[in-house]
Amino acid sequence: MKNSGDIMEEFIDPAAGGGRNSEEDNNHVPELPGEDFLRLSSSRRDFLKAFGFSFASAALIAGCKIPVRKAVPYVNQPPEFSPGESVYYATSFYDGHEYSDILVKTRDGRPVKLEGNPLSGFNGEGTTARVQASVLNLYDDARLKSPALDRENVSWEAVDERIIADLARINSEGGEIVLLTSTIISPSTIRLINEFGAGFRNFRWVQYDAISYSAVLEANSLCFGKRVIPDYNFDRTDLVLSVNADFLGTWVAPVHFIPKYIARRKLNNGERSMLRHIHYEAGMSITGSNADLRRKLRPSEEKIMLTDLYNRIAVNSGAETLPGPAFREDLSGLAESLMACRGRSIVVSGTNKVEIQIIVNGINHLLGNYPDCIDPGRHLAIAAGIDSKTEALVNDMNDGKIRALLMYNVNPVYDYPEADKFLNGLSRTELTINMAVALNETAGRAKYECPVHHYLESWNDAEIIPGQVSLCQPAIHPLFSTRSFQESLLKWSGNPVTWHDYMRSYWEREYFPGSGQSSFRNFWNTSLGKGVHTCPVKAENMPPFDRTAFRKVSESRDLPSPDNYEVIIYESIGMGTGIYANNPWLMELPDPLTRHCWENVACLSPSDAAGLGVVNGHLLKIGDGLLLPAFIQPGQAEGTISVAAGYGHTGSGPVADGKGVNLYPFAKIKGGSRSYGFTVSRVENTLRESPLALTQTHSSMEGRPIVKETFLSRYRENPASGNNLHGASDLHDKTLYPEVKYDGFHWGIAIDLNACVGCNACVIACQAENNIPVVGKDEVRLRRIMHWIRIDRYYSESSDNPRVYFQPLMCQHCDNAPCENVCPVSATNHSSEGLNQMTYNRCVGTKYCLNNCPYKVRRFNWYRYTDNRSFDFNTASDLGKMVLNPDVTVRERGVVEKCSFCVQRIQEKKLRAKLENRTLNDGEIKTACMQACPSGAIVFGNLNDKNSRVSRLFSDPRQYFLLEELHTLPSVGFLTKVWNDEDIKS
Amino acid sequence: MRKSCSRKYSPGLSALTFSSLVFIFSAGFSHPASADLPPDAPGKQELQSEDSVKSISGSVIQASEELIRGQRLFYGLVYPDNKAMNCAACHNTAVTDTLNWNPDAVEISGKYKNKSVDDLTEILLSPTGKKMAQVHRDFRFTPEEIMLIKGYMDELAGTGLTQRKPPVTNLVLFITAFFLFFVSAVDLIITKKIKKRWINPVVLSIATVYITWSLVVNAIDLGRSPGYSPDQPVKFSHQIHAEQNGTDCIYCHNYAPYSKSAGIPAQNICMNCHLLVRSGTRSGMFEIAKVTGSYEEKRPIEWIRVHNVPDHVFFSHAQHVGAGGIDCAECHGDVAKMVRIRQVSDLSMGWCIKCHRTRKVNFSGNNFYSQYHELSDKLRKGVTDSITPERVGGTECMKCHY
Repeated sequence: MKNSGDIMEEFIDPAAGGGRNSEEDNNHVPELPGEDFLRLSSSRRDFLKAFGFSFASAALIAGCKIPVRKAVPYVNQPPEFSPGESVYYATSFYDGHEYSDILVKTRDGRPVKLEGNPLSGFNGEGTTARVQASVLNLYDDARLKSPALDRENVSWEAVDERIIADLARINSEGGEIVLLTSTIISPSTIRLINEFGAGFRNFRWVQYDAISYSAVLEANSLCFGKRVIPDYNFDRTDLVLSVNADFLGTWVAPVHFIPKYIARRKLNNGERSMLRHIHYEAGMSITGSNADLRRKLRPSEEKIMLTDLYNRIAVNSGAETLPGPAFREDLSGLAESLMACRGRSIVVSGTNKVEIQIIVNGINHLLGNYPDCIDPGRHLAIAAGIDSKTEALVNDMNDGKIRALLMYNVNPVYDYPEADKFLNGLSRTELTINMAVALNETAGRAKYECPVHHYLESWNDAEIIPGQVSLCQPAIHPLFSTRSFQESLLKWSGNPVTWHDYMRSYWEREYFPGSGQSSFRNFWNTSLGKGVHTCPVKAENMPPFDRTAFRKVSESRDLPSPDNYEVIIYESIGMGTGIYANNPWLMELPDPLTRHCWENVACLSPSDAAGLGVVNGHLLKIGDGLLLPAFIQPGQAEGTISVAAGYGHTGSGPVADGKGVNLYPFAKIKGGSRSYGFTVSRVENTLRESPLALTQTHSSMEGRPIVKETFLSRYRENPASGNNLHGASDLHDKTLYPEVKYDGFHWGIAIDLNACVGCNACVIACQAENNIPVVGKDEVRLRRIMHWIRIDRYYSESSDNPRVYFQPLMCQHCDNAPCENVCPVSATNHSSEGLNQMTYNRCVGTKYCLNNCPYKVRRFNWYRYTDNRSFDFNTASDLGKMVLNPDVTVRERGVVEKCSFCVQRIQEKKLRAKLENRTLNDGEIKTACMQACPSGAIVFGNLNDKNSRVSRLFSDPRQYFLLEELHTLPSVGFLTKVWNDEDIKS
Repeated sequence: MRKSCSRKYSPGLSALTFSSLVFIFSAGFSHPASADLPPDAPGKQELQSEDSVKSISGSVIQASEELIRGQRLFYGLVYPDNKAMNCAACHNTAVTDTLNWNPDAVEISGKYKNKSVDDLTEILLSPTGKKMAQVHRDFRFTPEEIMLIKGYMDELAGTGLTQRKPPVTNLVLFITAFFLFFVSAVDLIITKKIKKRWINPVVLSIATVYITWSLVVNAIDLGRSPGYSPDQPVKFSHQIHAEQNGTDCIYCHNYAPYSKSAGIPAQNICMNCHLLVRSGTRSGMFEIAKVTGSYEEKRPIEWIRVHNVPDHVFFSHAQHVGAGGIDCAECHGDVAKMVRIRQVSDLSMGWCIKCHRTRKVNFSGNNFYSQYHELSDKLRKGVTDSITPERVGGTECMKCHY
């Protein structure tokens, strides 16, 4: 790597440089939905007609009556509500795959926005894109709305009566009853399930995760006798070696890991050292992008590499070595570095193979990383599914051993690798019940459909880390005729108690005695108010490492064949396991690395692409049955193809269906665990084109200091290193305009590029807060995506294995804004608080401002996205509109819009301060992006207040402005990205 | 829809569309034989159209004849010498501008729809209410007539009040001007029939000025509705509550000081008093019974919103009442004198800005403003004596539009 922070060596972006594709994109003639008259060529006659028409319409419009609006108050005003004010409820989010403690913002009784719960010991104020978007799933028209028997809607009473009778009959005949659920982390539900099961002679409870962590669980069970996923304390480490574990993006609990990881990567408080991060992976992940050193590794090499590393450390520590060949690279440097950080390092692998996880455990054990850095005692209850148990269940179903199958929050027809086998088993099961929130591939396959509440409508609790319990409370009355899963279990087991009372009494028994509160009522209300409760757990001793686990590790013989392509199925940031596929916000969320949306693509390395003659968007035939558009991904390991899971739905709703390809059927069940990858011998370029919906087509900074960078050693010498051009242009730039002084407030944002990991939570948070429309794949292809904040991704150095930079970019609110000067109607102008204002009702849509904005952050509303059947995402229906933030205008067609620094939040907090007769506190106003950011990379505040956090960051020597040579005087400042020096020999 | 109140009867051409014009003509020509009924008698058209559909059955014809007889009874046409026996005289069947404390015809019909004829007989011939007993004193209806009235009322309950016909003068003027413009232009360019050469240019210019003026005036007026005072579902009088009884605005509109919305009181607020107060001096029991009745049925009252601002306007009562300390009457007028609530200010942007430029901010009295160091300095040094909202950004776009 060229050690220069100022001018970066660039490469031609193969994605954009393909030429043909992008040219064709530019020439693409837009389809105008439903507005044919715009396409007509106009003549003088047409002009006169239009003129006459407009005259007539003016007369008509003048005669129109304003619609009568109703104002309907409550009959009994609930005391906690005041119309027009937000009420926040603490609750917790768990979808079977991801967990967060959250606050629900409700307006007039409907949840409109989710925020992290600052009291949470798990995620703090941070959230992820999926958590942010989950509020939209509440208003999804594809939700199951009523119980059904054989796809006919019936009443709950009818369903209950028949199910109770069926269960009793099967039980009396001694038939096996199975409850198949996603992972359950609710302690009271676990108790309930056990009680439910105790009522039957032959009962089995199987937990099933679409994306499985079974190998981690089993490896820990073998090594330490505890079937858990340990907590990884990145904040206590000096060196992290991650092999294929995307722990900042998707692996286990990113929202929990990011703050810890970033705590050791930030340099704002005079820190002199940073956590070093070495990453081995095949496809590009955001974790790999953040690593100081990223190496490419094919999945088949992983075991060899880890065995070799283990052996080197074992030799040094005098432990027994494992049989296996040496890795193609010399790992002695890596081993040395790890050994130098004994007890202060973490080695993780994201591969769902027990033997690999055992080797990783072995390495961590030799390095003494337990329990300080990796703590099995404080484990994360994020997943509990054991693959072999699911496999056994599916086999038993096929053998006709299962008489009743109750499914809750699972979609095995879509995401189980052998879905056909599962379906076959399902048809052989006498009583089948499906309990799901929304339509999916499994819904309708069971005899009984018992839809459950969305989590924002239900009572629940959770214990994500031992001792950290949280409550989940309804924030809205159930919208449809649904019932919580627990309520159903209580009904079917003949228990007359309601689920709410059941849970309450559980809390009274379990948590109240140790709480020190005087009455349970008090305890319950405080816990509900806070959402979280910490109860003491007895400290456990670290169990000894059981070396016999290594017996499970077979000798590596399967050397990768260089001719084969290895396909990796990965979890994407937006789609996750696929349960959010019908969520238009997430569907249109660009992947952080590829920057495409609306489908999944086959990422392959530039050299493979050259070999196949592929450019972006060529349809690839992978193996026999898989047809996917190609995407050339710099940094992809040669001979590998990465494809995201979660797409290719066939029955999950209009947004999800038919977008991309479902990769789960290609996953393999091998040796008792599911393996998310397969090998193909042939990849063929069909030469057919399938244009991609890319939101960023250029990847190079073209030598300009857009993301400034430096190295830790240089930073230590001079904190301003890499930032030496900052302020240089101010010396010779003069402006004709008078310098503006802001009295009172001057709002600004500081973005620490060292902290931003590129997770995209801010993008969805902004979308939810500011009523940003979803435009659909075709419009995205025309570069008409509406996001107010985007995370630009740049590559530098080589396309082979580039360095990756993420840069969140919203309106820079320039004090010398180029957009303001060119607006002919002054629809965009400057406020006395430094905001670049956008006035929609004044805008006539000339788009001059868009063209004059050097940051390209302004968006034009090409269509009326609300009430428009052509854009049937969420604003076309009354149900979907319930998610809209009433404090933000829904923009009309023909106006320009852009980031407002969440002015509605600024105004709200200013007003509160006025009403309370006090000054505004620093940090009181949080923009949506800042609030959602799990790493705290975005800081908003008053630049006029010299003690505010943002002012302090603005005076940091690392601070610079984007394109500051243009003298736009932005209000958004960036902080130089600092990398660790590459002193790891490899 | 029980009541449909159009928001606007502006004197311009605004009140009419071409379709309404067509309606007037068609209404005028299709019912020439309507001498025996008041011209705005409702239900007539429905009767006829139903007739044409169902006339196959004789009983239906008979039923419709009964309806007409009921209608005639209701309008007091059967007993023209007994003025009291005209239901429609008190219980209006059309939307009116005048104050009428009696429940309208559709309301009473709705109330008795699901009740028996005996109930109606009771209220007609021997009412318990004081005022009603006085008015209904001279009623002499036979049981058969009451049956017919009941039949007509049931029919009425399904329809709404007849809409008032909008004034047409300005539209006629506009169309005339347009017609003159057209004729004059044609004559000037093509036919050249008018000998006096000055006539056409004068007519053209006058017509142009008038057309432009009325378009501009109406365009500015578009979306504004000062004076808007629709009939509300309950004949609630601010005059009785605020003036006679001296209730403070904030007692009912209790969110005004701290929330964006002032809040229309929920019925539980009404019930604080109306749990006991069940009869009004002028409205009798009918109006209060609407509130108490729907409270018991847990049915909210659907008030017609009077003060509306467009969606892209953010207005906060908390800012103006809570922080600004502005009296309600400054924007809403003397509500205590209004029997039916009426929009006083035009709620236009110019009206907002005028205040923001001239009023004074409580600058030294609120700690919040101490953050404006420069302005505080000026105020302290006496360079300026007061701060208008404009000087702290009160006229900027994104203070109200976002």
